[in-house]
Amino acid sequence: MSERPFQPRIIAFCCNWCSYAGADLAGVSRLQMPSNFKVIRVMCSARVAPEWIIKALSSGVDGVMVLGCHIGDCHYISGNHRAAKRFAVLREMLGCVGINPDRLLVDWVSASEGPQFQKIVTNFVERVAVLGPGKAAGEQRAKGTSELNGLTQQAEKRE
Amino acid sequence: MKVSKEVRDIAEEILRQGQVGGVLGLSSEHGHVGPHLFSSTDDLGTLVLEPRYMLAKVCRMILADFPGERLGVVARGCDERALIEMAKLGQVDLSRLDLIGVACSEAQARECACPHPYPRRIDVGEPVQGVAFADTECAQQASEQDLVARQAFWTHAFSRCIKCYGCRNVCPVCICAECSLEDASWVARGKISPEISFHLIRAFHVADKCVGCGACDAACPVDIPLTRLYAQMREKMKEMFGYEIGLDVTNKSPLTTTLEEAPLHGL
Ligand code: SF4
Ligand code: SF4
Ligand code: FES
Repeated sequence: MSERPFQPRIIAFCCNWCSYAGADLAGVSRLQMPSNFKVIRVMCSARVAPEWIIKALSSGVDGVMVLGCHIGDCHYISGNHRAAKRFAVLREMLGCVGINPDRLLVDWVSASEGPQFQKIVTNFVERVAVLGPGKAAGEQRAKGTSELNGLTQQAEKRE
Repeated sequence: MKVSKEVRDIAEEILRQGQVGGVLGLSSEHGHVGPHLFSSTDDLGTLVLEPRYMLAKVCRMILADFPGERLGVVARGCDERALIEMAKLGQVDLSRLDLIGVACSEAQARECACPHPYPRRIDVGEPVQGVAFADTECAQQASEQDLVARQAFWTHAFSRCIKCYGCRNVCPVCICAECSLEDASWVARGKISPEISFHLIRAFHVADKCVGCGACDAACPVDIPLTRLYAQMREKMKEMFGYEIGLDVTNKSPLTTTLEEAPLHGL
């Protein structure tokens, strides 16, 4: 704790068919990863609505990952094409209003890529830790909280 | 005014020929100007062009109310772009419309920082050069500000919002029956100013559709410069995908197509 006081809170949206399985594999392979992210399983990266990401960031989540199948491997053929384009645009929009676009990551992990999942998550957590707390909601959060559960209440509390 | 006279003449002609059941335009009555459906040539004396008012949303209403009728619409560049975007969203049937195309003056184009101050077919007025994004105050501001300054600017601007929904209500491309902005899951209820998600969700929803008509800016009672954000997004759509909003009804938003149909640089 004392070594790295700021523990970012991160949400990882993982598609059911590839990246969730990749995350699972990383888990059962006991690969070492930071623990400050929560996985939310979705059917496809294209199922992730921009609303979810915006709401997360504006509620004080520090970073959001959208992980899907590699291009060409989407279970629904071209879901990840849409996701790739939408979130590239969303990243630009975050930049326009002064939220660091690096708080949003879109990447691809296949079911067999446990180590790839480990790498992506580790890098992202480090990147967001360097960026510091997300101030999108204009709120000063208590340091070191790792649970996302109080999210709504936290948002409520802000002035 | 000469220009409105020319528009009246065209409206009179298409009404007389029975080409359309009515002409949608602006009418000045008792010192007030508002949208009006001119169904007889006798009314046309009150037809005016100013102040600018987005007619596309009214147009959708009238088309729905009078199925089977054709409609004339007095349309500036932004009205036409809005109608084209609405047609992409299945909201209006362009084949039922006869546009009376009006080109805006140079002063108007400058005032709106309009990139395209004329419709495709111009019936009245002379086309003037549009204002390039790079020459706008918005572009200048965006290039000068870093992330911190932008956040300060927008946090301050959004903090004035009274959540009147005016921007959404006037917007020609905000057409969903169920609006995310009213969904408590994304924007908490009963809080003013609303969470920043209110503005970011709206900005994202119009990012690939905003025609830059400025109706939202004009509607906002607290002067939030919304189009400054949307104009930047419109420019990004151009840079990233070469996509121009509102010019071609067959050109779908790249956010709804595959990477083969509209590639993203770097993928
Ligand atoms: S967002 Fe504003 S400028 Fe853009 S189309 Fe809607 S009302 Fe017009
Ligand atoms: S018009 Fe202005 S005050 Fe009203 S909801 Fe939109 S941004 Fe907020
Ligand atoms: S199913 Fe994995 S990205 Fe579409």
